[in-house]
Amino acid sequence: MFYEADEISEIFKGVLPVYLLFILPIILVISPCGAAHEFPVYRMHQFELHGVARGCKSAAVNLEVRSISSWRTQRHCVISRIGNLTSLSLHKLAENTGALLIVLPKNLATASSKEREVLSDIEVHGLTTEIDVPIYFALWTPDIEKILGDIDTGSSPEKGSSAWNAMIRSFSSNGYQIVVNTNKPYPRSDAVITSIQGKLPGLGVEEKLPTIVIVTHYDANGVAPDLSYGADSNGSGVIALLEIIRIFSHLYSSKRSHAPVNLVFLLASGGKYNFQGSKKWLEDQLDVTDATLLQDVHFVLCLDSIGQDNLYMHVSKPPKEGSSLHEFQKIITATRKSGVDIVHKKINLADEILAWEHERYSIRRLPSATLSSLKNHKDPMRGTILDVSESVNPATLARNIEDIATTLARYIYNVSGSSQALSSHMTVDEEVVKTWLDFLCSHPRAAPLLTDKNNPLVKSLIDTMSRFLVDVKTSALVADKRDPDFVFYDSSQAVCHIYNVKPALFDLFLTVQITAYLAVVHQIILRMPLIYDMMVPSVKKVKSQ
Amino acid sequence: MTLYHFGNCLALVYIPYHLTYKYSGLSEYGAFWKCIQAGGIYILTQLCKMLILATFFPTSDSSLNGQVDMFGEILKATVDVADVFGLYLVLSGIPGKGHAKLLTAGLGWAGAEAVLTRFLLLWIGARGAEFDWKYIQKSLESNINLVQHITTGSLVWLWTRHDLKKSLVPVVSTMLLLASYRSLIVDLFLANTDFGAWTSLAIKAGYTLGLALPTLKIYAGIAASIGIF
Repeated sequence: MFYEADEISEIFKGVLPVYLLFILPIILVISPCGAAHEFPVYRMHQFELHGVARGCKSAAVNLEVRSISSWRTQRHCVISRIGNLTSLSLHKLAENTGALLIVLPKNLATASSKEREVLSDIEVHGLTTEIDVPIYFALWTPDIEKILGDIDTGSSPEKGSSAWNAMIRSFSSNGYQIVVNTNKPYPRSDAVITSIQGKLPGLGVEEKLPTIVIVTHYDANGVAPDLSYGADSNGSGVIALLEIIRIFSHLYSSKRSHAPVNLVFLLASGGKYNFQGSKKWLEDQLDVTDATLLQDVHFVLCLDSIGQDNLYMHVSKPPKEGSSLHEFQKIITATRKSGVDIVHKKINLADEILAWEHERYSIRRLPSATLSSLKNHKDPMRGTILDVSESVNPATLARNIEDIATTLARYIYNVSGSSQALSSHMTVDEEVVKTWLDFLCSHPRAAPLLTDKNNPLVKSLIDTMSRFLVDVKTSALVADKRDPDFVFYDSSQAVCHIYNVKPALFDLFLTVQITAYLAVVHQIILRMPLIYDMMVPSVKKVKSQ
Repeated sequence: MTLYHFGNCLALVYIPYHLTYKYSGLSEYGAFWKCIQAGGIYILTQLCKMLILATFFPTSDSSLNGQVDMFGEILKATVDVADVFGLYLVLSGIPGKGHAKLLTAGLGWAGAEAVLTRFLLLWIGARGAEFDWKYIQKSLESNINLVQHITTGSLVWLWTRHDLKKSLVPVVSTMLLLASYRSLIVDLFLANTDFGAWTSLAIKAGYTLGLALPTLKIYAGIAASIGIF
């Protein structure tokens, strides 16, 4: 076709304006090109705590996709279902690949036991050190399933296969390129940890009354901040606190049941970051000269993950006979049918990370305890993305809250006897608990995501507390500029593009095929007169007509 | 390599058109401008079709529940008969002699279609980083359409001839109907079976060839009898 170049140029000169020749390539270059597979991915958590960097350090990915069995070098990004990983292979992957995309089950509540095991392994070990390769998590979709299937079959050639097979495979293989376009993660200097405090003043002169402090943190944690819904840890604590507030504000509003005890409530944030919210609040309350709020504290009660059947009372030292905490422990053991075990763990001052929130208060010599359904502070359920709203049974949680509220009421009013003696407002409605649970679990609640001052979740918590309590205040904690206790990083979420690509060799191969095809077409067009002549009826026949 | 792939597809679509133009003798007649005119009539016809479709066939949600509204689809496909009128207009309006006349009409018509329907698709699609066989298939399909439109043009021409043998009139009419309802028939057939993209391409090619060869035979007969060579 290019033999007679004159004619082609003639066409362009005569019919098509010449400038098209220049404009077309320009439009070609700027025209859009879309990806077929696009889905949200969640980056592994990255943060610094007490100057130690933890989690995943980098974010941008532009690599070839490989399966877990066929990856070779740092230029490959491994995509794998969480069930196909083991802690050993994970360790190897995190050191030698270019990137890792872990596919989580569609519904985290239905994860199998093996998946849970691997995930908690990542959550426990992955978040204690710094990891260089970007690690992303994605929820299962049919698209990802297709890609997983493709990269499993199109794995790299086995050793025994011939060169010809390898070549054929390189032509026909379905390659994928993964692109995650994000900026380099940047520390957020404006990150604010907001704690909310409120109180119910007792009957009498407020300054002279004893005080009970109830504390819970409302943030959640997990391997990916955007997947941390934290139903049990610590949505359950938040619900308990709010329900206790509702019950006691009702009791305190009537003169007959207004007890001579101040109740102070603290909804702290940063509970997963060594209880930064409690720490700041304590400093604010104790380290000022005219501090009156914490003058005569009976005890500080922390609530942490109370959504399961058992309840344990964690203390830093066994409560002494006759102390208020001992009294409280006696009542709660009597109230609960299954009893409450005391778990005693000394504060390890060598370790910067505290085990339970009450240790913050114990250090400051306030009698304190944490109520939790978990026996060990190292339980992986305290910070996992598996902690979704399905993992908490509202009925169990409602019963636990009722027990705690009843115990508090008995302690405050100094009554002993059956629970029926208490007001009908003491009951905790399962439906209300469920509504709160759904609300708290409707958005990820990791502290880095709640740093915005006008966060709707924080606002609604403030609104709820102001409805029942007086003197509701927020305290905002901003990390120190020079020596920050905690640093959060942005770009926790990104959009991942996966392109189906063919090797460069394939395009050349295609060109050869197309050329061959066009040659055949050329021949057919050239032979058209022959075909036509075959079709023409013989001269005799024509004449006979 | 994506630009390269785009080039591949573009070559696959347009080179057969060029070869047809060049080696069928059209270039000797200087029929380029006539082809452009045929293309212009194609565009007008498509505009009319779109107007009719937009006016009389509001988007029905018939296919929402998986059920194909047969009657509506047939009515919609009937609008494609406008193509036959368009081709008739081209044949009657554009002067030409013998084979060249038919080829001009078919090539101009198919060329306009290829430019209008394929170029933008390839432009946006084949240049993406993502590879998909779809674009190669679309390119091959436009080659089939070239044959199809030349065939339809010939059938229209045959149908307008008065010296067509009486016994051949029903054959030509049937083939003309088959040609204008081609997309409906093939689509319905493919919708009821689950062939892959390549098989459906082969079926389309077979259908077109099944129309093209008898048409060529009839045309050759009539051309010989009236002395077009």
